Amino acid sequence: MILCKNCLHKNPPGAIFCAECGAQLAAGEIATQSIRTDKVAPSTDRGKPVSIPKPITDNAWASLHLMDSGQILSLADRNEYTLGRLGEGQPVVPDLDLSPHQAYAAGVSRIHALIKRDGKRVTVMDLGSANGTYVNGKRLASNSERLLNHGDVVALGKFKFQILLR
Amino acid sequence: MGQTPDYYAILGLLRDATPEEVKRAYVEAAQHLHPDKNQAPGETEIFLEVQQAYETLSNPKRRKAYDATLPKEETPESPILHEILYSRPHLVRLDEAQLMYVLVNLRARNEGQSLPVPPLNVCLVLDRSTSMKDAKMDLLKAAAIQFLRDLRAEDIFSVVAFSDRADVIIPASYQNDRLKLESRIRDIQARGATELFQGLQSGLNEVRRGRDARRVNQVILLTDGHTYGDEEACLNLAEQASREGIGISVMGIGTDWNDAFLDQMASRTGNTSRYIARPQDIQKLLAEKFHELTSVLAEEVTLEGALAEGVQVNYAFRTQPESGPLLFDKTTPLGAILRDTGLSVLFEFLVQPSALKEDRTLLLDGALKIAMAARPTPLSPIRIRIQTETADEPAVALPPPAILQALSRLTLYRMQERARDEAQAGEYDKATRSLKSLAVHLLEQGHRDLANTVLLEAENIQRKRTFSLSGEKEIKYATRALFMQEGEVPG
Repeated sequence: MILCKNCLHKNPPGAIFCAECGAQLAAGEIATQSIRTDKVAPSTDRGKPVSIPKPITDNAWASLHLMDSGQILSLADRNEYTLGRLGEGQPVVPDLDLSPHQAYAAGVSRIHALIKRDGKRVTVMDLGSANGTYVNGKRLASNSERLLNHGDVVALGKFKFQILLR
Repeated sequence: MGQTPDYYAILGLLRDATPEEVKRAYVEAAQHLHPDKNQAPGETEIFLEVQQAYETLSNPKRRKAYDATLPKEETPESPILHEILYSRPHLVRLDEAQLMYVLVNLRARNEGQSLPVPPLNVCLVLDRSTSMKDAKMDLLKAAAIQFLRDLRAEDIFSVVAFSDRADVIIPASYQNDRLKLESRIRDIQARGATELFQGLQSGLNEVRRGRDARRVNQVILLTDGHTYGDEEACLNLAEQASREGIGISVMGIGTDWNDAFLDQMASRTGNTSRYIARPQDIQKLLAEKFHELTSVLAEEVTLEGALAEGVQVNYAFRTQPESGPLLFDKTTPLGAILRDTGLSVLFEFLVQPSALKEDRTLLLDGALKIAMAARPTPLSPIRIRIQTETADEPAVALPPPAILQALSRLTLYRMQERARDEAQAGEYDKATRSLKSLAVHLLEQGHRDLANTVLLEAENIQRKRTFSLSGEKEIKYATRALFMQEGEVPG
């Protein structure tokens, strides 16, 4: 069974939302603790139940599910996006400005990372940011590509989002 | 389909049908196609084809010879695409029961199909009980007249008004003299009590008079009140209607109608009920219904199937085109496929340990039967096998986004459903708690107004020990409507 972290209701294995309080059960908990504890799924280090991913728009090849606000940002028109935040008098601007989402407080650099599509592959690359880019809690080396899978949690500094692929 | 007709499709059978199934399908088809009973154009020809099909398929030798002439692939070019999504890639060997969510999607192979738009055969069944009098009745009549004006020349139309008895105001026919028909609608007067059975039966009879397989056949019931004592009879009528290929949809006006019962009745025909809070909106909703009926690609999809031992369906819910709960059974009407909107149904399966098999576990084995008025020839059923691998370890993968999204909304719908059950059982604290959780999730998703309505209702229950009639319907139909909106959150 899966224990809901929010209300401690016991849900049967395979449940995705708590039958009692409606909170989304964390992905790692699809694994059952009763089966084997040494091989629990890698934690996506979500401390609290996150709100529910909204749909991906039709032509988006990937969406960022912002874990603090629950908002969804869709990547659609171009094949690569630089992520960062817009500052004053900045010569190079990011394709996707994260400053409306408290990016500064979370330690996002002005030009922080690049998300790229190559056929069906979607990759992320750190662009020499000050606070680093993490995938599922592991820090990436600068300027080298890392393949992203559906559901991976990416952190730019402390700015976390989940990547949703088509 | 080539030169030889597809006998399997004509009888609505799969290629591996047993002799018993062939026989049953023939008897069923013959019953409602027999020339003695049926004068609808074209049906005699179909009946002859059905006989021919049966003669071939019921004889093992001839069937074998016929099978040899068929192309290998079962359904070479079905106009309907289907897809089955699973919440997890496999079931896990466990000593306890586990859940699996399955989303079945059906849609048009190509939306700009050249298939003709089938004509309608519709009966409006109007509640004329005393409670409808004055403004409400006038708005209802105006909406019915507008509906009549929207009809195309090839549509068959009828109107029944009912209170404690039913009158056929306009018998099923093409609308030749619209002005005369309009004035007949205008003359309807409100009086008497609500007795649904009478109205429903007359309405069905009118649709039967114009019924043919090339039309979308439907009864649209508009009512504002409770019916008493004839619920069971109404449900039986609905089941019968479903077998005859006639849909029943319901529009409830105001707060006093029995939504649980009417929902159940409509769902027996793969349809659902709509809530009309203000009589001013009758016309709008009726116009939407007209639009929906005229964009039908396949008017009814029915799932026939058997669950494996140790497997049950906890919940079945259509998320589109019109969202609403389904009553899962051996034969489950799922609803319609529209040209621009597919049909999606979400199932929650509960799988007992005893059902788990060595490497593949079967949950449900069945077929989808598709009634498609737009096509000259019947469509072969689509075989549906819901099954997954069985594994030792749970998979570390997120469910497909479509399931996650549908389920997040269904979770909200089920919370309000549970709150209503809890309030009815006298568990007011539980009901309040359920509503509060519901409000939190609604707020998170940006539905502020609805969240407020839910919180007000929670207070109401604390004070008055019951749901308010308006609150319960408002919340139910609004959480249902969440499925129908394209859902980017407001920023």
